[in-house]
Amino acid sequence: MREKLIYGLGIVAAVLLARNLYSIFMQLPDEASQGMIYRIIFFHVPAAITAMLCASVTLITSVAYLLTKNLRYDAISVAVTEVGLAFLAANLVTGSIWGRIIWGIWWTWDARLTSALVCWLLYAGYLMLRRAIEEPTARARISAVFNIFAFVDVPIVIFSIKWWRTQHPQPVFWGGGKIDPDMYLTAVLNLVALILLAVVLSLIRLRQEEVQREIDSLRRYAHAV
Amino acid sequence: MDTRNFTFMFYGFLAAWLILVIYVLSLVSRERKISEQLKGLKGLLDDRDGK
Amino acid sequence: MDFFRQTLVIARKDLRAELRTKEAINAALAFSLVILVLFSFAFDPFEKETIEMSGGLLWIVFAFAGTLVLNRSFAREIPNDCLDALIAAPISGSALFLGKALANFVLVISVELVSLPVFGIFYNVHWTTRIWSLLLVLALGTWGFTVIGTIFSALTVNIRLRELMAPLLVYPMLIPVLMSAMKLTMDLIAGKPLGGENEVWLRLMVAFDVIFTSLSLVLLETVLVG
Repeated sequence: MREKLIYGLGIVAAVLLARNLYSIFMQLPDEASQGMIYRIIFFHVPAAITAMLCASVTLITSVAYLLTKNLRYDAISVAVTEVGLAFLAANLVTGSIWGRIIWGIWWTWDARLTSALVCWLLYAGYLMLRRAIEEPTARARISAVFNIFAFVDVPIVIFSIKWWRTQHPQPVFWGGGKIDPDMYLTAVLNLVALILLAVVLSLIRLRQEEVQREIDSLRRYAHAV
Repeated sequence: MDTRNFTFMFYGFLAAWLILVIYVLSLVSRERKISEQLKGLKGLLDDRDGK
Repeated sequence: MDFFRQTLVIARKDLRAELRTKEAINAALAFSLVILVLFSFAFDPFEKETIEMSGGLLWIVFAFAGTLVLNRSFAREIPNDCLDALIAAPISGSALFLGKALANFVLVISVELVSLPVFGIFYNVHWTTRIWSLLLVLALGTWGFTVIGTIFSALTVNIRLRELMAPLLVYPMLIPVLMSAMKLTMDLIAGKPLGGENEVWLRLMVAFDVIFTSLSLVLLETVLVG
């Protein structure tokens, strides 16, 4: 059943992505001041939103684990955090490349970029913390608490643009600026595609996590017998 | 100017996709590793039960 | 009232234990002085730019020296099963956390207050221009990183490679409060008052302190016991 879900969602995501790539490269015109480099935004912003959504999901599952002690939530936490980390990395890299063209610099330490990098470091730390603890319940408990702490950075990342003067541009899709409806549509569709992709990858990773746990328990059984 | 931008934009998209592809490849390799472990363990247990 | 009594008991116990041997506080003080000296070789203390950014350097010194004290916070309870005794004691997890955090705060801030005049001398910096605002920033910033250091010391108390993992996890978490403290200190040393442009940093620091103190008070028991 889950296999079918994974394949189904995967196909929808692939079709959407293909449609979007066609739209991005073939149909949409160049932007007035930036030229063609602006097209990166169609991946940069949706990747960021997807990563923040993943962070929110892991917050919920971490709290759920602490409340219910059901290790299923722990498995979901690690799967979704890994996927979110990949999307956040894609976000940072695409942003850096865009910045190189538009501002002439690969990086700057303004509030948005710094907090986004810190967010990446924190969730990478989460994965490292899990490696350092072998016992499953202790690992789940400690990493769930760490996840709650790590999430405090996420609102800082999201609102850093409003709270500080940043080098990073003000929001384009929901700020005040007028945007071409075709571009808006493509951006939203790409967001949907990336979210579907994130769900597919999380499900795959979740299944691997479950198989890994089954292996661990089999191994314990094999050594006990 | 535009050609340089085109190269960079290409690199940008390539980078974003590369990161995701690397992640997918890591998932695939992990899948293979755990399948092997699972097979090995199941074989070990079957041997023991068979004995 | 019980809660505060329990907190003070824990705080006094930790302070007494530390002040008897003075291991951590001496190490932290020595480390802080050494880094201050080293930085003054890396950056020419008479350059205008160095004086401008010296506030930032100061907080790096405080963060590193403070970590020496904070990492030991729960780690020192491991020998002789003291940690088990603390967990079994009839005090709430929040009281345990607050007591340890207060003791750590006192230790770290004493190291900082000793380093401050040394800093003023080595870097030729007039840190007394806005002394009360500076002390406020010092207190708020130190409390912020003390809270994080203490809770992460508890988090990492039983894991492999504790000495390595604890700093690795703590420093990214500290970046918001350290950045605020650095920006505010640099402004205060340059003579600018708090408020206006600075206010967003001050608010971030206060919010950081409130949020992480509340989270830690609630979660310490979960961390140690489950």
